[in-house]
Amino acid sequence: MSDILELLVSAASSGCIYGLVALSYLVMIRPTGIINFAVGEWAAVGLFAAFFLLTNRWLPLPYALALIAAVAFTGLIGWGTQRIAVRPLVEKGAPILGPILALLGMLAIFRESISLIFGPDPHNLPAPFGLRQVSLGPFAGTPRDFFIIGCTAAVFVGVWLFFERTVWGKAFEAVALNRKAAALMGINLRRVTVAAFVGGAAIAGFAGVLYSLTAPRDFLMGLPLAVQGFSALVVGGVGRVEGAILGGMILALAEQLTARYADQIGIPSGMSLGVPFLLMIVFLLARPTGLLRPKEAAA
Amino acid sequence: MTRAAPWLAAAAAMIAVAFLLKDFGYYSDQYRKLMLWVALALGFNFLFGIAGQVAFSHFAFYGIGAYAVVILTFKAGLPLGVAVVLGLALCAVLAIAVGIAATRLEGFYLALATMAFAQLFLVVLTEGGAVTGGAGGIANYRLPALELGGRRFTLTGPYYTSLIALVLLATFFVFWRLDRSYFGRACRAIRDNPEAAAAMGVDVARTKIVVFTVTSVLAGAAGMAYAFVDNIVNPPVFGLENVFLLLFMVIIGGSGRHAGAVVGAILLYMLPYVLTPLIGHHQALVFGIVMVAAMLFRPDGLVGVYDRLRARYGRGAA
Repeated sequence: MSDILELLVSAASSGCIYGLVALSYLVMIRPTGIINFAVGEWAAVGLFAAFFLLTNRWLPLPYALALIAAVAFTGLIGWGTQRIAVRPLVEKGAPILGPILALLGMLAIFRESISLIFGPDPHNLPAPFGLRQVSLGPFAGTPRDFFIIGCTAAVFVGVWLFFERTVWGKAFEAVALNRKAAALMGINLRRVTVAAFVGGAAIAGFAGVLYSLTAPRDFLMGLPLAVQGFSALVVGGVGRVEGAILGGMILALAEQLTARYADQIGIPSGMSLGVPFLLMIVFLLARPTGLLRPKEAAA
Repeated sequence: MTRAAPWLAAAAAMIAVAFLLKDFGYYSDQYRKLMLWVALALGFNFLFGIAGQVAFSHFAFYGIGAYAVVILTFKAGLPLGVAVVLGLALCAVLAIAVGIAATRLEGFYLALATMAFAQLFLVVLTEGGAVTGGAGGIANYRLPALELGGRRFTLTGPYYTSLIALVLLATFFVFWRLDRSYFGRACRAIRDNPEAAAAMGVDVARTKIVVFTVTSVLAGAAGMAYAFVDNIVNPPVFGLENVFLLLFMVIIGGSGRHAGAVVGAILLYMLPYVLTPLIGHHQALVFGIVMVAAMLFRPDGLVGVYDRLRARYGRGAA
């Protein structure tokens, strides 16, 4: 029994990271329709920026400040990415595939830049609260698991409030529902796109920082994380913020259950690597809107 | 006669190169791989550039072809010819299954579903135990001897290189003919506007499935040729990185044009030789920059640049 509860805590913490990556996609897809595969690379940027800020010789920052600065830096990278690879194509009226493919080029640029600067070795952030086991009621886990879960909950509440309670959030929704009508109502599409990419990048950067708390990561971490995050998004549905975290949790739970119990029924436990792909295929084909339906437009 | 002449000349030239390189093992090996990349790029160009399907499963079918021929020949003990036919049939069956499922998806969602399929294939290879050899793959096999008219002979060295040249030319011929047929025009029509194509009487779903199947089976055929180049098949060769490279090749060369695929494949295959002394093993950085630049400034690729230059300075300018 305690075995299962422990598995739940560790699944919840990796589910949180998948959920954050899914949220990063969602923030960009809703208003622009662009699936940005470079989110994994942004996560790597966030992680390596935090690593650099914490451990550099000249001005090592305190932990919390380094994380915030790294997330802000990733947001800046997000602005740069959309300025270079998205805005010129959108303004030229290129089909939506144009920016998506250009962003794949950016993915290669980010990845190689990181490997050029930091080398091929894996890096990780020092754990913020040590590694001893702590218990929270019946749930046992490491402090970092609870740190990841708490931070993710805060981000999701923040983004949910943004979409539901602010004028900017309403503008995002309006653009998602009908781009042309939204523009005619005086919403600045360019600004919404910038906000989507900066916000998406900051979320991805934060996901990368949290991701490195669980294990050392190298410059190749981006693409697998991007795939897992997208799989979570497909499971949960692109329509709603809650979908991202729900998808992340389902994916992480399915992965961990396969990794732990599959060989008891004769499937190699390494097959858990295939779980995100299997879920993605099943949901794309059988339920392309994901588990949660998008809300109907208010009449 | 006149129509066959260019093809015969190309075959003769490519085979001549194969024999010129026969004493230079390394270059001969690179020549074989370059030809296989060109064959893959031609197929990917037909799928992506002409039919407008962004499918990331192209390298998976290359891998399925390679693994199928090796497993059927050396694990199941079938004769090579039977293994080749069965392997191609397997590629076709899988491609039809994926293709039918994929007709429900549009745009980049197709890319993601096919990518998931390709990655699932890699996981199966890695976890396949004794059948696929796991992460290390299968090695230590040789092309079995063929029997023709009671004589046994093995294709080695320049003869095998010539075989690859013929596979490449056959691939090119198939795509070239398809492109100039009703089928090719239907593909382009679907790429540009599926509703309009359907209204003009094109069977959109069937055309999409056939395109996907033909390109995937030919990728499988190239994979079979690859299996005896290095005499080893292992999972990393068929990974996602390579299909991105294929996409970059086609876009940088000029998507939708056979010449673009050939130019892009040759350029991106050769570029690392120039770049490695300059920046080490970070060629992908340059590929990424060129890719973004191509998307921004010349979506029709290098072939488009050539067309422009010729229109401005060439014979057509008058």
